[in-house]
Amino acid sequence: MTAADATSQEPADDLAGLESSGPDERRIALGPTLRDLAIISLISVPIQAIATELSVPDIVIGLAVLYGMAVLGLLLTRYVPLRLPSVAWISLVAVLFTLPMLPWAGVIFPLVEGIDFLALAVPPLAYAGFAISSLEIGVLKRSGWKILLIAILVFAGTYVGSAVVAEISLRLTGAL
Amino acid sequence: METARGLAQLWPLHLAVLIIGVVCQLIGVRAIPIGIGTILLLPMLFAFALALVLNPNVVRAATAIMPVRRAAAASPLIVVAIMPFIARFGADIGPGIELVIRSGPALLLQEIGNLGTILLAFPIAVWVLRMGRESIGAVHSIAREPNIAIIADRYGLRSPEGTGVLGVYVMGTLFGTFIFAVIASLLSTAGVFSVEALAMACGVGSGSMMAACSGALAAAEPGAAETITALAGSSNLLTYATGMYVSLFVALPLVEWMYRRARPEDPGSARGRTARREGAAR
Repeated sequence: MTAADATSQEPADDLAGLESSGPDERRIALGPTLRDLAIISLISVPIQAIATELSVPDIVIGLAVLYGMAVLGLLLTRYVPLRLPSVAWISLVAVLFTLPMLPWAGVIFPLVEGIDFLALAVPPLAYAGFAISSLEIGVLKRSGWKILLIAILVFAGTYVGSAVVAEISLRLTGAL
Repeated sequence: METARGLAQLWPLHLAVLIIGVVCQLIGVRAIPIGIGTILLLPMLFAFALALVLNPNVVRAATAIMPVRRAAAASPLIVVAIMPFIARFGADIGPGIELVIRSGPALLLQEIGNLGTILLAFPIAVWVLRMGRESIGAVHSIAREPNIAIIADRYGLRSPEGTGVLGVYVMGTLFGTFIFAVIASLLSTAGVFSVEALAMACGVGSGSMMAACSGALAAAEPGAAETITALAGSSNLLTYATGMYVSLFVALPLVEWMYRRARPEDPGSARGRTARREGAAR
């Protein structure tokens, strides 16, 4: 990836940090990631207890299975020479464990079925709220309302665009 | 970068996330009826807002509870924290595989719909707001990390195109989940689209935006929750795999071409980086 321009007036490392947040995840140390993943899974236990009717042991088992899938996905990210983001590998692992035609699906899926996906999204968004840095606040102050309006149109555009194409194709192919 | 960061420095951050998470889950889903539909506010949105208020970079007074350095440690934890969520989503694709395959053509085709960013935002950026080459960076994609990498690689982040992509990136980081929750709630209660189409559209290639989007859909139609997660999850997976290439080989050349047609007089529309830089003034 390109280095930040030498002619910049601002500290270059700010933007360089953003640039390197690109797709190469292979250098991330596995040990600390697994530790953080374990801590975050523990944080999810009381949140799941509020969100679902599951007993605490069932929640722990479900989260442990998801943890295992994430670990396998991280290992694949590191060792398979096909460059996909770790979240894509984790999705694929989860699909592979729950495909109904494969023998283990009947065992794995019931273990995670009760885990509430909305409640699982709470911790990442809390970390995201803390991760907003002075860089982001600076960009926000400099860009102003025009960029905000464009951003809203960009998000609405991708959503409505995909929904329109999906609706038409679903009707044409008779899948609905 | 952060190889030897000890547990000791991180635990106040984890503790803060635990407290915020429990509080927000207790608040639960709140529905706000407005004229054209209902907006569903989810616990994850409250969690983001609450963490923002406690973030010393946003609210100066929060330094007392959370020093700036500690807040900075949160950044690499987002992707780790989203992993169990992604795994749970993937676990719904397996059992729903028949539905996913039946919807296969629609799933593939709706990836093209992601070019809707250009369709809707480009005319407003160029002709209404009179923006310059920032518009290229701003409208070519939803400006997540892979898209920033593409723009950084081609133009540099301090170019006008870089300013555009960073602007939308920051707005998306701050308001993206909220914007998606609002759009999805409104469209699901408006009754124009089927829930299957709306679910597929949620897979935009960002975990948290997909979460907010499919969460709002699932809260509006609890009976269809498994259909929603299976389709949103597979569409999102597809975007993870293809999004960067669509962005690089289709969206960016397309928006470059449109900009050259719309603004032939812009010095940046001729070739050469120096000319592009001078075209930056706005």
